[in-house]
Amino acid sequence: MNPSRNLVALSATALLSVALAACGSSSSTSSTSGGTTVNGAGSTFAAPVYQQWGSQVSGVTVNYQAVGSGAGITALETKTANFGASDPPLKPADETAIAKNGSPAVEIPMFLGAITASYNVPGVKTGLKLDGMTLADIFLGKVKTWSDPEIKALNPGLTLPSTPITTIHRSDSSGTTAGFTGFLAAVDPEFKTKVGSGKDVNWPGGTGAKGNAGVAGAVAQTSGSIGYVEQAYALQHGFTYASVKNKAGNFVAPSLASATAAAEGVVVPANLGFAISNPSGAQAYPITSQTFIVVNKDLCKAGASAAVAKGVVAFITYGLSGGQSVLSQADYAALPATILAKAKTASTGLVCNGATVSAA
Amino acid sequence: MTTASVPAGDRSVLERSPAARLPDRALRYGLTGLAALILALIAFFFVRLVGESQPALSRFGVFGFALHNDWNVSLDHFGALPLLVGTLVTSFLALIIGVPVAVATALFITELCPRRIRTPVTILIELLAAVPSVVYGLWGIFFLAPKLLPAEKWVAAKLSFLPYVGGGTVTVPNQFVTGLVLAIMILPIVSAISREVMATVPADQKEAALSLGATRWEMIRIAVLPYCRSGIVGGAMLGLGRAIGETIAVTILIGDSPVLGHQLFGQGYTLAAVIANEFGEASGLHRSALFAAGLVLFVLTLVVNGIARYFVLRAARGTRVAPDKAGPDADAGAAAAVGA
Amino acid sequence: MTPLPADVLAAFAPSAARRRRDRAARGVIAGLTVLALIPLVLLVYYLLRKGLGSWSGSFFTTDPTGATFFKNVSIGGIKSAILGTIEMVALASAIAIPIGVGVAVWLVEYGRAGAFANVVRFFVDVLTGVPSIVFGLFIYITLVITGLVGRGLAGYKGSLALALLMLPVVIRSSEVILLLVPNSLREAALALGAPRWKVISRIVIPTALPGMITGVLLAVARASGETAPLLFTVGGANKTTLGLGAQVNALPLQIYNDIISPTTAVINRAWGAALTLVVMILVLNLIARLTSRRSRVA
Repeated sequence: MNPSRNLVALSATALLSVALAACGSSSSTSSTSGGTTVNGAGSTFAAPVYQQWGSQVSGVTVNYQAVGSGAGITALETKTANFGASDPPLKPADETAIAKNGSPAVEIPMFLGAITASYNVPGVKTGLKLDGMTLADIFLGKVKTWSDPEIKALNPGLTLPSTPITTIHRSDSSGTTAGFTGFLAAVDPEFKTKVGSGKDVNWPGGTGAKGNAGVAGAVAQTSGSIGYVEQAYALQHGFTYASVKNKAGNFVAPSLASATAAAEGVVVPANLGFAISNPSGAQAYPITSQTFIVVNKDLCKAGASAAVAKGVVAFITYGLSGGQSVLSQADYAALPATILAKAKTASTGLVCNGATVSAA
Repeated sequence: MTTASVPAGDRSVLERSPAARLPDRALRYGLTGLAALILALIAFFFVRLVGESQPALSRFGVFGFALHNDWNVSLDHFGALPLLVGTLVTSFLALIIGVPVAVATALFITELCPRRIRTPVTILIELLAAVPSVVYGLWGIFFLAPKLLPAEKWVAAKLSFLPYVGGGTVTVPNQFVTGLVLAIMILPIVSAISREVMATVPADQKEAALSLGATRWEMIRIAVLPYCRSGIVGGAMLGLGRAIGETIAVTILIGDSPVLGHQLFGQGYTLAAVIANEFGEASGLHRSALFAAGLVLFVLTLVVNGIARYFVLRAARGTRVAPDKAGPDADAGAAAAVGA
Repeated sequence: MTPLPADVLAAFAPSAARRRRDRAARGVIAGLTVLALIPLVLLVYYLLRKGLGSWSGSFFTTDPTGATFFKNVSIGGIKSAILGTIEMVALASAIAIPIGVGVAVWLVEYGRAGAFANVVRFFVDVLTGVPSIVFGLFIYITLVITGLVGRGLAGYKGSLALALLMLPVVIRSSEVILLLVPNSLREAALALGAPRWKVISRIVIPTALPGMITGVLLAVARASGETAPLLFTVGGANKTTLGLGAQVNALPLQIYNDIISPTTAVINRAWGAALTLVVMILVLNLIARLTSRRSRVA
């Protein structure tokens, strides 16, 4: 037989065998050494934490898709994911849509993160103070240079250059944008009407970048720029970020403690869907975001197998216990004790066809 | 010589039994079914795409959607004009930069270069096509774009009187870099098609020009280029089609800003990039608008590729020479180039 | 025969101006060719420089951990990405190659220049021009969100999108090669009494095989590098899964996700993964080229 025939025969066999192997071992809960496979989707802000938690929970392989809060909810609604992750709490429309799967929606708060106003101003290394109105004016384009009197008034001790300000915002839909614009809309009625708040807004001017990382990179590269970046990303880049004036009148720098303080005293509704907006705590950092994991209360009625339900609950339980202690390693803030307790109660209320799911 | 015919009785010896004819029939109908499958697939595809775009298109009207300048996700306004403009701008930029260079490489390989280095140079140009889009994006955003930033800033400052080119903010991901990388990506295909067409220029045309005293360049100008015009245009249109549909490299390099009126060195958006970026996030009307954008993209590439094939086939038909160089060869050559 | 006198010859020589233009034009053409090759050189250099540094034993044998932020946790390698790409492309090839070759055979042997065949050819052309992301959208709306085959993202759905991508390329290139098989071969076999199917399977296809393999390998190489069709169909698992019924990882996806990370280590991993992908594709291209040398028709 001539050699090319051999080559063909060989490669054909190889292809076919791989293909057959691939088909043969497929099933919707396939697994390797990780036991059950659980699929989650949603918030990019929370992604690093969920990825890490996923690798810590034994017996479960967690696939988390950081597609954004909105997409995570959609994934849960269309049953392409077993749990969704969203920074903003569920809207009533979302709750109805998720409930269509056979069981009402449950949102469980997992942790917090500060949204920093990171800046790159020549000559100003630390200590910049800003308040809500000034930030809104900067992002509205009304304050155009760093030496503007509005900024100067808040920072009498700093020498501010007359560099023009470039604002950096998110080009993709994001919970971080929702958190930042939520704060600005709460403190500045003009911002509320002109730009509004939400995951995706039309910014008047400024440069767009993709993802928290994109904004971080753009701020690092553009002199005179200011952007809103999740604290973890800001710290990764060694950024300088501003202290922001909170409702109590104090200039607070974003830190793990001030983020947790922001959630204390916030009104938590019965379904736990709270949103931190301009908190009133004395040491609270005003631009803090929460993040939730969203599931159906009865996971199995909504389509998950018993094994998958167990896996999801195991993941959530780990997150609310051991997982809270690793948060600081990645510069995220833990929930205050009261809210954490409520979250734990909610997670124990998850059922599979009526029976409580044991996380064991 | 008289043709002897097989006596009727013996003919049955040569006939095949109905059972033996079965595999032939099965093969014929089976393969015809496969071919019909392709048609069914595309028809289904188109129908689904239109179906999913229906909500957005009925809300804004087809022209309202395509030509309205307002892509505002939070307000549920979807006018795709910025996307369309961004797509066309970057693609035409890719054409302007890429086609002359591609034609030059084709000329070099077929006319000017020494025989020995012909194959290595061809292989090197083909290698540009082997690099996946995401690697172009990676290289572009981390190497090319930052390296070009100072030069871009200088150009923008020097030419600030020009309305689109100068002035404005120069960002690292911008339309110019996107067009440049797209030019690099379409270079191999335009070059390959140009080379194919140039190789079919009849030798006697070239020799006639040379024997009349033309210099090499004059020969190219007189004998080669006019002959290849159709083919080169076809190749350029294929490159355009490729540039229009390119998604990943563009998403990484263009900065994703759906605002019309940015400068050349500012950010933009394209139809393909908006789908890649926003689809995962989208629901309801937004999602339907993205499907509509996909539909517009599909129709656009269809039109461009149709025009391209018209030109390439016209060039191929023009090269059909003497009967011994039968038709299928030329068509096959052109088809190979087109299908490459 | 006496050569022409020098002064007569001189009258035919191009003027200095024309010679200058000729040299200038040739210079420009050569220069532009070099210009075309510069990006390739820069790309390869940069890929090697940044990618080789990430290559190590553990790079290829550990899965990405997804812990891109945590300070004392390693980010892992790209094992699941490589395996996922190989599996998905293998399945896509197993689907696209038989169908593609089948349609090409039909076009050449049965359809030929008929009206229906021309319609099929036109539609194959249409498929060639479809942007890859639209394939992903199509699979998404038909298979991911409907209950047809089970909701959710899965590796085999990505394979289907890739197969759609490969199909027109396989059909086109196979058709071209099959057309080049001399008719005399077919006629000789038919004259000897061979049935049609035997002519096709024993004569035509083996003759065309090396050329078809070239075309197929190029389609496979292209499919390996595609990201857009996988974006909404496959998901992004970290751990290696051997079955394609669940979410899998893929090299282009891994690179795309790593690009937007702020951590330098992750970006270095992206370079290493990019180098790996390019090497895989180049190897496929090399095999394709070597196979085409053995071709008996083209």
